Amino acid sequence: MLLPTTVVGSYSVPEWLERLKTEYYQRRISAQHLAEINEVAIKAAVKDQELAGIDIVSDGELRRDNDVDYFLARIPGVHIPQRAKTDYFDYYDAEVTHPLPELPGEPGTGLGLADDFRFTRQLTRHPIKFSFTGPFSLSRRIRDQAYAEPGDLVRALARRLNAEARDLAAAGAELLQIDEPFLAGYPEQVELAIEAVNIVTEDVPVTWALHVCYGNRYARPSWEGHYDFLFPAVKAARVDQVVLEFARKGLDDLRLIRQHGWDKWLGLGVIDVKSPEVEPAELVASRIRRALEYVPPDRLMVNPDCGLRHLTPDVARQKLRAMVAGVALVRDELNEGGAP
Amino acid sequence: MDVDLRPARKLRESAAARSVLGPILETVCASPADLGRLRVVCDWIQYKQNFRGAVVSRPVADTDVEIAFDLRRCADIDLAAHVKQALDGEPGLTLEPWVPGRDSLIWRFNQLYWQALSRWERHTGREYEQSLPGGESDARNTEAARELILELFRIWDELDARRALPEELYILELGVGNGSQARTWLDEFVQLDRRHGREYYHRLRYLMGDYSPHVLDRARQAVAHHGERVSALVVEATRPAVTLGFLAQKAFLVYISNVYDNLPTDELASIHGRTYQVETRAFLTEDDAEAIAARFGARRDDLVTLIDRLLRIGPELLSEANPGQFADPGQAVAFWRAAWEALRLRERYVPLQGLDSYQITPSLTGEILRPLIEGHGDVRMHVSNGALGSFTGTLPLLHPFGRVQCHDLFLTASQQYRTGFYGPGKYDGSVVNWVNGPLLQLVASRRGFGVEFTPFRQRPGSNITTLTAQARD
Repeated sequence: MLLPTTVVGSYSVPEWLERLKTEYYQRRISAQHLAEINEVAIKAAVKDQELAGIDIVSDGELRRDNDVDYFLARIPGVHIPQRAKTDYFDYYDAEVTHPLPELPGEPGTGLGLADDFRFTRQLTRHPIKFSFTGPFSLSRRIRDQAYAEPGDLVRALARRLNAEARDLAAAGAELLQIDEPFLAGYPEQVELAIEAVNIVTEDVPVTWALHVCYGNRYARPSWEGHYDFLFPAVKAARVDQVVLEFARKGLDDLRLIRQHGWDKWLGLGVIDVKSPEVEPAELVASRIRRALEYVPPDRLMVNPDCGLRHLTPDVARQKLRAMVAGVALVRDELNEGGAP
Repeated sequence: MDVDLRPARKLRESAAARSVLGPILETVCASPADLGRLRVVCDWIQYKQNFRGAVVSRPVADTDVEIAFDLRRCADIDLAAHVKQALDGEPGLTLEPWVPGRDSLIWRFNQLYWQALSRWERHTGREYEQSLPGGESDARNTEAARELILELFRIWDELDARRALPEELYILELGVGNGSQARTWLDEFVQLDRRHGREYYHRLRYLMGDYSPHVLDRARQAVAHHGERVSALVVEATRPAVTLGFLAQKAFLVYISNVYDNLPTDELASIHGRTYQVETRAFLTEDDAEAIAARFGARRDDLVTLIDRLLRIGPELLSEANPGQFADPGQAVAFWRAAWEALRLRERYVPLQGLDSYQITPSLTGEILRPLIEGHGDVRMHVSNGALGSFTGTLPLLHPFGRVQCHDLFLTASQQYRTGFYGPGKYDGSVVNWVNGPLLQLVASRRGFGVEFTPFRQRPGSNITTLTAQARD
């Protein structure tokens, strides 16, 4: 299929769900109840994506409190002194005081991501994208008192994530995505981040995606700039596609794809997830047409700029439908043999 | 019977304040009110011009009654007569139906004040800055400007080194006063930029936003020598994004001074574990209505229409439309001032059907209030709807490295609502309400911004507090 549609990962978190998650972090409901609530929400998110016509769906990352803590709270050796939160979305203060224990760990010390995947797998016949935050971004939220060389913490986290990726592949995952939402804030460390990505993906036989954006916490960019910093370093990454944001930032950075001879897949962000305004299908189509000037259609995947978590459920659904409709317009043009 | 004594400091410091407590309780107990359904609330209303009588009553969900005393005015009045009048329902000329506080007539008066400020000033013989405490705005200060500018230079240098500095560097000032702040800031910027040597001034875009075209005109003259670096925009303060949407994620500094305290607000109260909305109804006392009618040659009952007309068309057109009452615009302004001075508010508590069903702004439900209003006993607080609309509309304008700096009357802890009175009061021709700082802090936090409150350093002892908001994480 040309121009497959997918999501970046997270899905809309309605206000009622936010409240319930906060109730858990304030110890007012049990972990069991929260798990059941999350599962209901995941089923709804998958159904929403299917109904919108998304080809490759995700679990909406709805089990996660945020993009970092879900992982840090599960990684052996990461110390989180205070686990109650005023609001579920707040970040923990996390620290490592000793080098992380190396694998193989004790049984049951994994992060449990394979179980998360299995739950989603039995919900849908669609292909699934499973995403997790990369080692570089995770390291930025840890106070490191253990490693003399800061890069060693990143590498240790990467090894831990590599073990998870192996479990995910064994559970049937076929498309895994590493998210590096903090990387754009530290462009001078891109080589380290790519080195860590390669540790994560090592010997894990799945399709790998790498998502780099300018941040989406609270629906705001954390940084501004251009993707220049990513190239050429990212060419050394053992991944099959990069997933980048273009809708909000504009399409100028597409030039980098040609300039640096990126010959793998591009996940093209065509939906601005920081704005509640729903893009018309024709606008989506025009963005795709522009990208096709730089990337052949058999290497282009279409997705929103980033996760949909900060959009209301109704807006998220409308945006996904608009994206699918925009893709359909271009697919028709391609199938008719017309120039895009 | 609950007794809620709020003015903690006054009671500690003032024998006069304490001396009326006994008589108040004696009077209430001697009244025919059902004491099991009565709340007694004592405030010290520091605004000599305000919207309350010395003793007022407020129905609580049509079953209970709150009777409220202004201790400042209770020493020399016939308490028994006032209590009786409050409980019986004070007669007067009603000017509007019951409405939430933010929809009250008082905000139409407030709006008129800013729209027809020049008329008001001409009539009173004072510029509005002279009616501020100390006779001037707290906005202008060279040292404060220098600190901010140097911090901006530091950020811009860093971004420039990463090729991430935008071509245009936006600064936004909301509520521009007479332009002194803008002039001070820009003049200082020129000097510091010359010393810094990066020519940021040529990339600077200083936007002045204000509700009042008259104020903007005056401010524009003050910064005329900065030419095209400065633009002036009429901005609806509670919905800045309508005019300023183009600035999204571009502003490095949003500077706001003495705006939020002057924007419409509701009040909510928690009484015995239940949440209520305070509804208000503007009126004139019988005596005031008769006096105003006599002074301007109108019938008492026509005042409702005349006031409504004044608020719709302003004093100039009112004098044209009603030459019989108002021979010239000055007469109409005199009517405006008289009505404003006499304006009072009745209040009642209406039960709220769940915080999530209460809309603070179109995009924010009352759910955000839960940590502040629930589980902390009886409390009544401002929702600061207008300020929140403005604040939440402003935050998205910030560049990731931008900040909001705001000087205003902020409460900095919810506890303060238990120990003092924070509005509404009358300030010249405008309304003043302190702003619910902890609520702004909470809302900002849910949007990824940290908020700090610091005393306004440039004028020790001032009630003004500085709020600084910038991205966290």
